[in-house]
Amino acid sequence: MLMNKIKKVLIANRGEIACRIIRTLKRLDIAAVVVYHSLDADSPAVAMAGEALKIDGPTPVAAYLDIDGMVAACKATGADAVHPGFGFLAENAEFAKRLGQAGVTFIGPSPGNIELMGNKIRARSFCMENKFPLSPSVTEDDRGEPFVQQAGKLGVPLLIKAAAGGGGKGMQIVRAPDDLEAAVQIAKTEALRAFGSDRIYAERYEETPRHIEVQIMADHYGQVLHLGERECSLQRRFQKIIEESPAPGLERDLRERMCALAVEIARRSEYRNAGTVEFLLSPDGNFYFLEMNTRIQVEHPVTEMVTGIDLVEMQIRIAQGEPLALRQDDIETTGHAIELRICAEDPQNDFMPTTGGLLSYSLPQGDGVRIDHGLAQGMAITPAFDSMLAKMIAHGQNREEAIQRIKKAINATWILGVTTNADYLARLVAHPDYAAGRIHTGFIPRHHGDLQPPDLSVDQRNLLLAAAALGSDEIANPEFEVKEPYASIGMWRN
Amino acid sequence: MQGRIELKGRCYDVSVYGRSPGQRIQIGDGLPQAAVLNRLDSGEWEIQLGGQRAKAWLQVKGETVYIRAFGQTFTLSVVNPVEQAALGPGGSRRRAIAPMPGVVVDTHVAEGDTITKGQLMLTIESMKILTAIKAPLNGRVAKLHFTTGQSFDKGAVLVALGPEDK
Repeated sequence: MLMNKIKKVLIANRGEIACRIIRTLKRLDIAAVVVYHSLDADSPAVAMAGEALKIDGPTPVAAYLDIDGMVAACKATGADAVHPGFGFLAENAEFAKRLGQAGVTFIGPSPGNIELMGNKIRARSFCMENKFPLSPSVTEDDRGEPFVQQAGKLGVPLLIKAAAGGGGKGMQIVRAPDDLEAAVQIAKTEALRAFGSDRIYAERYEETPRHIEVQIMADHYGQVLHLGERECSLQRRFQKIIEESPAPGLERDLRERMCALAVEIARRSEYRNAGTVEFLLSPDGNFYFLEMNTRIQVEHPVTEMVTGIDLVEMQIRIAQGEPLALRQDDIETTGHAIELRICAEDPQNDFMPTTGGLLSYSLPQGDGVRIDHGLAQGMAITPAFDSMLAKMIAHGQNREEAIQRIKKAINATWILGVTTNADYLARLVAHPDYAAGRIHTGFIPRHHGDLQPPDLSVDQRNLLLAAAALGSDEIANPEFEVKEPYASIGMWRN
Repeated sequence: MQGRIELKGRCYDVSVYGRSPGQRIQIGDGLPQAAVLNRLDSGEWEIQLGGQRAKAWLQVKGETVYIRAFGQTFTLSVVNPVEQAALGPGGSRRRAIAPMPGVVVDTHVAEGDTITKGQLMLTIESMKILTAIKAPLNGRVAKLHFTTGQSFDKGAVLVALGPEDK
């Protein structure tokens, strides 16, 4: 591998992650190019980047998924490298391959790494061959009996997943054997729609495991490091909303075994650049390989806050052929970090995405609190893209201080014009079981009742109504009075 | 001003009397109380109602008021009465248009009926409010686009009226 210093990076992404990558590029004095769909023309990423190139597609998302378009954008702008961020083309082996053919450096793993670990069934076969621990599972490729029968033998509860999946799509929990056949059909249909492949697999489902992942960095010379673990058990709709590092209450020996296994998986797969190995930690203390994410993760800032390492910088250095400058012993973690994902969604409506306009907002930072966002006042929140608006990350000397800081920051946060989960997140981090570290993937459904908004007193309710009545008149001055011809025909029901 | 405001799935009748700064607000069957809304230097608003007061962040867009107060964020809808249609040129095309999605709960006239101004035509329910759709003028029911039990979208034409003498 020759050293090949990167001079100009095209960011094949948008929103907060595009802004976050640009910040590191600026610090390293590397030119940044963003591509953008017209919906994002006024976004901060476009304003921050030295150069911006408009892209188009049949849908806004399709514009960011257009491999030919991205390769052409590199040619047009003279970018010699691409950072894919997460989502979109980040785990697309074909994209990495095409960039290589065009002489553009892909800041991420090799196409072979993505092909092996990006597909969940292939990654599981790889782990099985290497005798890495896996939860009991069957895949559609297993020979012999039909899939439904084999899956049935695993016993309920079962979790059906898409081979090409991610983000909770194509996942079905089966709690009664009679529901299996229907769930398989739904999972296949969803998987086909979301990922273009209906291959699925089934694994034993646990109601209260923990989801713990290990951050890996590997260079081109066979050196593999881990940057500790992240606790990602707080999830809704199979998607994380709170992550932290280190994992609370994780015994030192268990942590070391998990990190060592993650390093070993990366080594055996000849992995390079940033990756995350996800494990399921059972209440009985056993842990299993879940999947590997071949990209920078949404939750990477918690690792950055406790290690003091800029993961995007490390990715760039590895991609341009530098050997890792650190050894495992050089990596020290300090304190505790917690990340909240602030999303345009309605916790009172099963966390369904919401839309609206960002009329005004305040996301307090400082005092150990970092905000990663790509927001601008007046921005439309459309269903075209992911619902995540911002990430709030707090660091403290220990978990208690990190919780104090994140609580203070999220309680001072307000976002008006679109329904968000910010108030819900504030209630989550204030929950006594969260403070006690009693967390698992079933936390949100189990504490559903406790996490509801408190009832309003009559005085509070009346103050809100009065504020709305006076505010709607004074601030927006709408035509509130019933005017002719309406006055003659409309009526208030008194 | 008299209106109806929806908060957390419930509707409240709210009347505002007088002009700022001497306004009084009546909520439901309660007694009217002095009410003041002030902008603070921080950009926050302070609402006072009778002896109660609270600070809030506040934004208004159209008929929606967004308020952050008491550790929660609220979306309140200031519900307008049915936006009955404007009369077309020459008075030949007259329509009642739905201001928001809803359902017809009662039909009081039939197509072809002669009607007089103010006569009850339909009762609809939108956002949990029952509203009477009355005839805007003397005429004839040309077309009932929706009857009892049928739901409609915002902007749907509920009733079309024709001239009386046909």
